[in-house]
Amino acid sequence: MSLKDAMPVEKGRLSWFSPNWVLLLLSTIALGAFFGLETASVAPNRIVSGTGYLVFSALGWQGALLGMVLILALIGFSCIAECQEYRDAYKAMLVIVMALLALMPFALMVATSRLVDSDLPQARLGIGAGFWVTLFVLLLALVELRTRLALARIWSWSLLLPIGLLWWLCLSLWLEPLALMREYHSRSEQFSEAFRQHLELVGTAVGVSLMLGMGLALLMRRYPRSQKAAFAILNFLQTIPSLALFGLLLAPLAWLAANLPLAASLGISGIGWAPALVALVAYSLLPMVRNTFIALEEVSPAVIDAAYGMGMDTRQVFLQVRLPLALPVMLEGVRITTVQAIGLTTVAALIGAGGFGTFVFQGLGQAAMDMVLLGALPILLMASVADALLGAVSDFLRPGGAK
Amino acid sequence: MIELSHVTKRFGDEMAVDDVSFKVAKGEFCALVGTSGCGKSTTLRMINRLLEHSEGEILLDGQPIRDFDAVQLRRRIGYVIQSTGLFPHWTVARNIGLVPRLLKWPSTKVHSRVEQLMHLLGLPVGEFAHKFPHQLSGGQAQRVGVARALAADPDILLMDEPFGALDPITREKLQEELRALQSRLHKTIVFVTHDIDEALQLANHLVVMRAGRVVQQGTPLELLHHPADKFVESMLGGVERGLKQAGLTRVADHMLPLSPTLPAQSRVPSSMSLRQALSVMLRDHTERLTVVDPHDMPVGELSMRKLIREPKADQGHDREH
Ligand SMILES: Nc1ncnc2c1ncn2[C@@H]1O[C@H](COP(=O)(O)OP(=O)(O)OP(=O)(O)O)[C@@H](O)[C@H]1O
Ligand SMILES: [Mg+2]
Repeated sequence: MSLKDAMPVEKGRLSWFSPNWVLLLLSTIALGAFFGLETASVAPNRIVSGTGYLVFSALGWQGALLGMVLILALIGFSCIAECQEYRDAYKAMLVIVMALLALMPFALMVATSRLVDSDLPQARLGIGAGFWVTLFVLLLALVELRTRLALARIWSWSLLLPIGLLWWLCLSLWLEPLALMREYHSRSEQFSEAFRQHLELVGTAVGVSLMLGMGLALLMRRYPRSQKAAFAILNFLQTIPSLALFGLLLAPLAWLAANLPLAASLGISGIGWAPALVALVAYSLLPMVRNTFIALEEVSPAVIDAAYGMGMDTRQVFLQVRLPLALPVMLEGVRITTVQAIGLTTVAALIGAGGFGTFVFQGLGQAAMDMVLLGALPILLMASVADALLGAVSDFLRPGGAK
Repeated sequence: MIELSHVTKRFGDEMAVDDVSFKVAKGEFCALVGTSGCGKSTTLRMINRLLEHSEGEILLDGQPIRDFDAVQLRRRIGYVIQSTGLFPHWTVARNIGLVPRLLKWPSTKVHSRVEQLMHLLGLPVGEFAHKFPHQLSGGQAQRVGVARALAADPDILLMDEPFGALDPITREKLQEELRALQSRLHKTIVFVTHDIDEALQLANHLVVMRAGRVVQQGTPLELLHHPADKFVESMLGGVERGLKQAGLTRVADHMLPLSPTLPAQSRVPSSMSLRQALSVMLRDHTERLTVVDPHDMPVGELSMRKLIREPKADQGHDREH
């Protein structure tokens, strides 16, 4: 007791310093990236590699100061986040992170006007590592804040939506000289075509594997002896590397196309959408079957007993009790499968199935990072939107409505 | 109403129920008691054909249950289980209205029936109709389970340890309510329990089972007076049988006219069970009690010395339900 009284400084320091370490780390990284890494680079045309600029030259001292103040505030708040007296620290941080995310496209606009020579029609602004790292770290901070504040999914999306709109507006109206946008404008038709192909492949693959998966799960429930073998096969399919699977499918499908005129007229060949679809379905089947099967099996036997005991017939028990109770878990399977298929379809570009993977691999071939981004960013976006939407639906279908 | 004769159920080689016969008359409350795994649930589930019996005959109103369509049969029989089996994705109101909807009642009739039942079981409609099962306490959920079983007004009610998962106080309360309900509705009830006190309190016909066979059956007092063997005796509480008997008779049945001597200090209502009256004697260190009517007017007295001298056969007053 007396020892503590003798050290008031120590006591005082401990009382306010109770940090959220995750956020402290993230905001420190953000500060480091903001000042230490290149914010943007400028190239006179597509071929020449650009020169990089740090934050002071890219945004001017006003921009750098504003960014610094906001990030320092984040660091400050994360130091006192777990302190009892400052309950609103997390909310303040949420506001700051949102503000930073909203300011970032404007930062790009400032950099454009400062760095890009408007006399050179091909000049382009590349987004630098500092910018990417800051963006990424802020998004991670948002995830942490979401859990700390226990925000409902709906809430976090309604916060992110206006910011997404803002980004989209800035990109399409004022950020012409951005290398990413230049890449987009020179192949906007290819871009929509790739989007369509990607969506089609994913949609078909998920649809087909949903049907097949449901069918298989129902069969496995009817014939319990087949369960072990079925899961063994599905697990095995999952372990083949994706490119190898595409390769393995090449021969039989090419044979099919050569020997069956009908198959050829349907567009089936050794390369293209057919092997891509087959491979995607093969990969999607395991999560789909596993979730459907477990979901249907897991419904409480007491509930099923009561359902029969009340006088429901087999069809009513399945449609009114087992299926609705299994639905949230089944949708979880659809969610996993969809996100996985969106990613895998990227690889399908290698066998000529199209999709955003085309940009990624062409860009890699030409060492044009902005083109890689033009393919990778939409894939990332599609995956998170699919994840959020299907997650929300499955939440909504849980017994007792949305929680 | 319900009659089982020489009913047997085999699971593979195992005899779960072996040559069981008993009858439940209309309006009678029959309890199946016995240790865990002796085949009580199996017997019950054969009555609504959730399980098919292997041998013997089960008659409903004199007709073999195999003559009925199983699904139609179950809609005519109420069924309550220990884990409630409420549908977690449906509201209380929808759970209760299930069987009437299966029977294609018009929706207004279903609606009013649901409200009527919620009222009957002490579940305020405004508060509970739109709740989901996970928002209910164990006791409330079990009330909903009973309401659901009663929804289509079945003549027969099968109950499998309905109160087994509840705390003693809630259980006693629900037992009391079930007894009150039964005295109004006169259903034919088959009730599975391994709580012998519950069985003695509620039933007017007891069937004691052991390893798939019926060891003894009869009214609670018959069994208490003449247990067939050591097993039934220990089932009925061993040396505590005397108290359990006393629990089944009312003070009014043993009361003597008021004696001219000074009335005893301790008073008990005439509707109290003899068992509770004995407890009062022990608590108050007295061997005499004054018996009073509901208006607290002395109507007689109870004396330990006289009780002990009562002839044995006289104790056989079967409780009316
Ligand atoms: N579906 C089944 N398949 C195989 N054996 C079963 C099945 N149902 C019950 N049995 C067996 O039949 C016997 C009687 O079971 P039952 O459920 O009728 O017991 P119980 O008297 O209700 O017991 P408890 O008081 O524990 O509920 C047990 O040995 C059990 O293992
Ligand atoms: Mg049982």
